[in-house]
Amino acid sequence: MDCAVQVKNVVFSYKNEEGEVTPDKALNGISLDIKAGSYCAVLGPNGSGKSTLAKIIDVLEFPDEGDVAVLGVVPSDEDKCYEIRQNCAYVFQNPDNQIVGTIVEEDVAFGPENLGVPLPELRERVDAALKYTGLYELKDREAATLSGGQKQKLAIAGALAMNPKILILDESTAMLDPVSRDEFLNIVEDLNRDKGITVITITHDMNEAARCEKIFVVENGSVTMEGTPAYIFSHPDAVKKAGLDLPQDIDLIYELAELSDSSVDEEDLYDDSSKVRTAVRLASKAVDMPKQTHYDKREQGRKILQITDLSYSYDSGKHYALEHIDLEVYDGEILAVVGKSGCGKTTLISHLNGIVRPQTGDVTLFREDGTDLSTTRKKDIAAIRSSVGLVFQYPEYQLFEETVEKDIAYGLINMGAAEDNISVRVKEAARIAGLSEDVLGKSPFELSGGQKRRAALAGVLVMKPKVLVLDEPAAGLDPKGRRDMFETIKALRDAGTTIIIVSHNMDEAARFADRIVCLKEGKKVAQGTASELFEDEKKARECGLSMPVLYDFSSKIRNELSKLHPGISLMPPLPFCGDEARSIVRSVLSC
Amino acid sequence: MLSDISLGRYVDTGSVLHRTDPRLKVILYMVYLISVFIVNSPPALLVLFVLTVIQLVTAKVPLDVMWSTLKPVLPLALFIFVINVFTIKQGEVLWSWRFLTVTDVGTTRAILMALRIIFLILCTSVLLTLTTTPLKIADALESLLSPLKVLHVPVHEASMMMSIALRFIPTLIEETEKIMKAQESRGANYDTGSFINRLKGYVAVLIPLFVSSFKRAEDLAVAMDARCYKGGKNRTKLNPLKITKTDVAVFILFLAGAAVLIATEVYFAR
Repeated sequence: MDCAVQVKNVVFSYKNEEGEVTPDKALNGISLDIKAGSYCAVLGPNGSGKSTLAKIIDVLEFPDEGDVAVLGVVPSDEDKCYEIRQNCAYVFQNPDNQIVGTIVEEDVAFGPENLGVPLPELRERVDAALKYTGLYELKDREAATLSGGQKQKLAIAGALAMNPKILILDESTAMLDPVSRDEFLNIVEDLNRDKGITVITITHDMNEAARCEKIFVVENGSVTMEGTPAYIFSHPDAVKKAGLDLPQDIDLIYELAELSDSSVDEEDLYDDSSKVRTAVRLASKAVDMPKQTHYDKREQGRKILQITDLSYSYDSGKHYALEHIDLEVYDGEILAVVGKSGCGKTTLISHLNGIVRPQTGDVTLFREDGTDLSTTRKKDIAAIRSSVGLVFQYPEYQLFEETVEKDIAYGLINMGAAEDNISVRVKEAARIAGLSEDVLGKSPFELSGGQKRRAALAGVLVMKPKVLVLDEPAAGLDPKGRRDMFETIKALRDAGTTIIIVSHNMDEAARFADRIVCLKEGKKVAQGTASELFEDEKKARECGLSMPVLYDFSSKIRNELSKLHPGISLMPPLPFCGDEARSIVRSVLSC
Repeated sequence: MLSDISLGRYVDTGSVLHRTDPRLKVILYMVYLISVFIVNSPPALLVLFVLTVIQLVTAKVPLDVMWSTLKPVLPLALFIFVINVFTIKQGEVLWSWRFLTVTDVGTTRAILMALRIIFLILCTSVLLTLTTTPLKIADALESLLSPLKVLHVPVHEASMMMSIALRFIPTLIEETEKIMKAQESRGANYDTGSFINRLKGYVAVLIPLFVSSFKRAEDLAVAMDARCYKGGKNRTKLNPLKITKTDVAVFILFLAGAAVLIATEVYFAR
């Protein structure tokens, strides 16, 4: 086997600021071989050592013990290290923190300039990389003005200009919307196919992992499973034990298998068409009529928020970030706001508690006592802010106090809460957000990423908002962190809080939201329940939505089933795999 | 909003000044910087005004950009005006009330001082920041100061640091706005309430901003390592600096302008 990367028994520990070795080993005797020209994914929960592994491969860190060889080169001295780094391009998670050049083409040139590539070859390489990633038209733009998706493409272009043989993606798609993510992955997959570049992608997204040839599962600093996606996902218990998830389509297959008392093996999951075949086979095999899923019809609550004819422009009318938005929010519901990056979602939610005041139109909050508050009235703003809590994307970046307890209490003190009440309310908020009491005395900067997110959430919950607005609350979390976050959100709703959630993840929006509102270029283009919205795929795509993976897969199964059983009557698709499996089996059995 | 401020921002209008060699622009800038401080007489000020307008027109700077560049400086200009108008006691008294006196010399001086600040900002923006990318400014400084390398002055490193600092200004402004909004949602107050309250509001913004800047710095250092950055040695350049005939023409014309300015000043100062 022609090896691109060989890692053998590598042990690595981080050192703290005093230069002491931390007791927990980031990598604990990890070994793996990556075939040249392959496309593989490294999966694992947060803190499992995935990123450390990637840094060891690119010799950005040196192993304490064990051996690494990249394309047969062992990093024994400085020159060898540079040789490896030159062959190994690295794209990081945060698009902003890897752009060195102010202008797009200057940034692309940074790598080859460091290598001393002379003109005119340098110019050729830069132009070719820009064309390949579709950024050539933007070459003279200021890099800071690019969108998140374009910035990540820029990072790829910068990598490509170094003519690498290996491309490492360290959660590079975590901050992108589904459309940008797809474009990004298509570029990566083209590179792998056309130029034979070995791709190593670290990701929390199981659907992304399912596109690879090979998956390595890393837990506690060593590889616990490796194999094709079909092999890995044919071991659902091990996958879940590792803190990972099954892709939605495979999850549906397992639900169908359970209903038909069958098992699923590796070949059944080989590729997309075999997955559909397996699902159809399993659906037709079931004998027992499963119970119909009953959704408790939620009573629509009273109107709690009303947005009327809201328009907003950042550049005095040249371009509208929001245009004539009308929207009602009902007490006790979960409302999802979806749409591409830059469609005005953040501007919209910034209006909800008066952080941004309407230029035209109105945002009104109706209170239980029959009075109402409007963000157009300055005297109402303070009251609105204490009733509408806003949690921005990556809220952990707003922590600043000496202790977590003080940080959570910050909003409460600003709102003028009574002293004796504060500590009780802080503890309660921390509990709801899923923080244990012993972290309250710690500095917020000592916490893990997930805990920081929860501390920031508690800092908003402490004000007991009637309406809680969350911008991508699960962004960047691992599968378990995502699940826990949504459990917390559901619990909050059950306790009576109205939730408005901005999300890129259509599967989650379909599953958790009562209603979905879709924005496109500042306008409201669609609104309804998940089944209404995704019923017509063509229309959904016109709205700029990507289909939930489950709906996409399920519609393929439905097509096959309709061919197989003419006259079958199929219910509209359901957002949970279990429910959907039962619905399909019921339809098959009743015809 | 913070992002409305154009101070230190690059605006591409594709003018001849944008294409001029940055080294020449840096030298021109130095010349004008000194000229602005030499100017003392109203006729010379007029010449300076005309020259500045010519610069603005040559650089094709849109009016709204110009205005947002100037806006943040106006309070400072006003402050300088007020200080000067009330402290200079020479000349004929024009107006007085209790301990405040305004004289004719004081007024002229005050206007002159305030205008100097405005011209200073205008020529800095037009000759440098608005028409030259930070990376080019850094390139120019690196090239102009390269003789100092013999004395082991880390010229390349300094210019790299400067260009990175400039590159991150818009990013950090965006970040500041984000944090301000987030803290405002938690009841932080920046512009009403007591001084202490406002100060507290800003602390809640600055600490997270520092923390994330350090994180960004660390990330960027790793990213630069990954892209094989190893200092200035053997580095090539995508856009090496080259002086063209047009550059020389622009340089001579603007230099002539400065010469006229100084000549006027010397003539009328007598």
